[in-house]
Amino acid sequence: METINNYTGNILIADLASGECETEELSQELVEKALGGAAINMELYEQYKDRDPLILGTGFFTATFFPCSCLAVLTGKSPVTGAIGHVPLTWQVGVELKLSGFDFVVLLGAADKPVRLWLHDGLSDINESQDVWGKDVWESVDKIREAYGDDMIQTLLIGKAGENKVPLAQVSENYWGSKDSFGFGAVFGAKNLKAIAMRGLGALEVAEGFFQKCIELKNEILNGAIKGKSGLKDFIAPLGIDTSIKAKIESATHRLNACYNCPYPCYTFFKYREAPSVMAQTGVADPGCLTSGLAGLTRFYMLGIDAPRAMEKCFKVGLQPAAAAQILEKKGIKDLAAAEAALDALASDPVKPEGSTWPIAVNLPPAASIFSSAIPPKPVFSPVSDFGAQDAGQFWVRRQALAYTIGMCPICAVLTPEVSTEKIVELVRMSAEWDDFSVDKLNSILDNLIAKSSG
Amino acid sequence: MDLKVEPLKCTGCRICEFACNFHYDESISPIGSSLMFYREEKKNYYGLMLKREKTLLLGRPEGERILKPGEQIEGASASSKPILLRVACDRCAEEEEGPLCVRACPFGVLSME
Ligand code: SF4
Ligand code: SF4
Ligand code: SF4
Repeated sequence: METINNYTGNILIADLASGECETEELSQELVEKALGGAAINMELYEQYKDRDPLILGTGFFTATFFPCSCLAVLTGKSPVTGAIGHVPLTWQVGVELKLSGFDFVVLLGAADKPVRLWLHDGLSDINESQDVWGKDVWESVDKIREAYGDDMIQTLLIGKAGENKVPLAQVSENYWGSKDSFGFGAVFGAKNLKAIAMRGLGALEVAEGFFQKCIELKNEILNGAIKGKSGLKDFIAPLGIDTSIKAKIESATHRLNACYNCPYPCYTFFKYREAPSVMAQTGVADPGCLTSGLAGLTRFYMLGIDAPRAMEKCFKVGLQPAAAAQILEKKGIKDLAAAEAALDALASDPVKPEGSTWPIAVNLPPAASIFSSAIPPKPVFSPVSDFGAQDAGQFWVRRQALAYTIGMCPICAVLTPEVSTEKIVELVRMSAEWDDFSVDKLNSILDNLIAKSSG
Repeated sequence: MDLKVEPLKCTGCRICEFACNFHYDESISPIGSSLMFYREEKKNYYGLMLKREKTLLLGRPEGERILKPGEQIEGASASSKPILLRVACDRCAEEEEGPLCVRACPFGVLSME
């Protein structure tokens, strides 16, 4: 079969119990049925539901020139909600996964000893991972990169919290935590899966004219709602968060970062072991930390502590920062040393996160619980009417479903009314050469995703 | 005319690397690009390297630096060494709309001067 544009055409079935990996073809039929990302993940989840599946997948546009196309999605049963959850993975995960040669990875069963999955050049290996089991996230990333000899390798991995299978455990993207609010760190732990390591040096085909269309859309985005704005700091006032947090963020910021092909750099690097103004390379090995987790950051600031340092502690043990900060607030913790000790203890505490972790009122319908709560719960710079919607809650759920399916960052999705459903349909049509692909067809794929995920 | 880099404007989105590869072979990949992004992730230290005909341009946070053959690449990681084997930037001379990397970069880091 000819490979579909934007995809490598491979689904990896990794049986952790037997240690065997098999590659299956990504069929045209499956792409026509569900397009990609969370929607195809859901189809694969159902197909393998009797074998304890966890699905990692890329979206239709992931790793292409489509703006904000960094996304991969992890789908499974959440120990937090007891139901299906989809975790958006940003940074470089989506591009590294797809270009390692796999559009989707189905992880089945559990290994009987710690392992990691290594994906590169269309190859997959389930390797022993005793060397990093018990090690914190930062040390594990360093050791895995060293073991495979490349520091551009991207990793999804767990720390102590995941190894202890606690519901607050996150799957981390390299050193910096993730938008996992579903406790999938505990699912990795239960599978004895310490890490997935990926290096993407493969290639994808795209349709003729696609590059130019994507550049035009990127320019429209840059001149639209996000114009003149950058970083997490500019989310604060529009989201209704305590505005004193903005100056705290600004004074500690080193540089902003964007994920693969993102026009809005929200990832903020904080330096606290050297001056934030230092741009040159120095001997300070761990000068600070990087995050896009505004809810956690804000909640730690609200405790009156040095929030980026508390974030670092969460990242190292592999805890979800926003939920952990909420628990620390209830405990009445007000200094960094006590916070760090409490975070260490939380890494072996089976306590569950409670409801929304945003320090603002959130009004979302029940279906929102299938998507990450780390994403701003409303459009940031524009009213929902700019997106052609009326009901803010329904809009949020559908916009997330769309982003998780096409492989667009779900934060970008709520920043960019310029990315309309019509433009997406046009680019899908162009890419897949489906003249009959329509807004209705896309909507029915999203309806299906929401209905199947909500059980 | 040569490609210029303003490193401190860069956010590390890497799309220039992929655009350059696309210029050469119309596929999406980082592997055939004249540009290479490198990063020391824990230090948030990152920049670009550009393979030119006779030199290597380092767009480091400290500023631009030009390396001649045989000079050591400092401040760049082991994974950036393959840049020496890459094809030299042809300045997208035959691209009607201009260099693909310049068009793709969202932050005005790259320019042809
Ligand atoms: S908005 Fe933030 S999280 Fe999303 S792609 Fe851009 S930098 Fe990454
Ligand atoms: S000008 Fe063209 S050849 Fe040179 S780096 Fe940019 S895209 Fe590549
Ligand atoms: S496209 Fe621009 S911002 Fe992105 S990595 Fe390249 S130079 Fe930096």
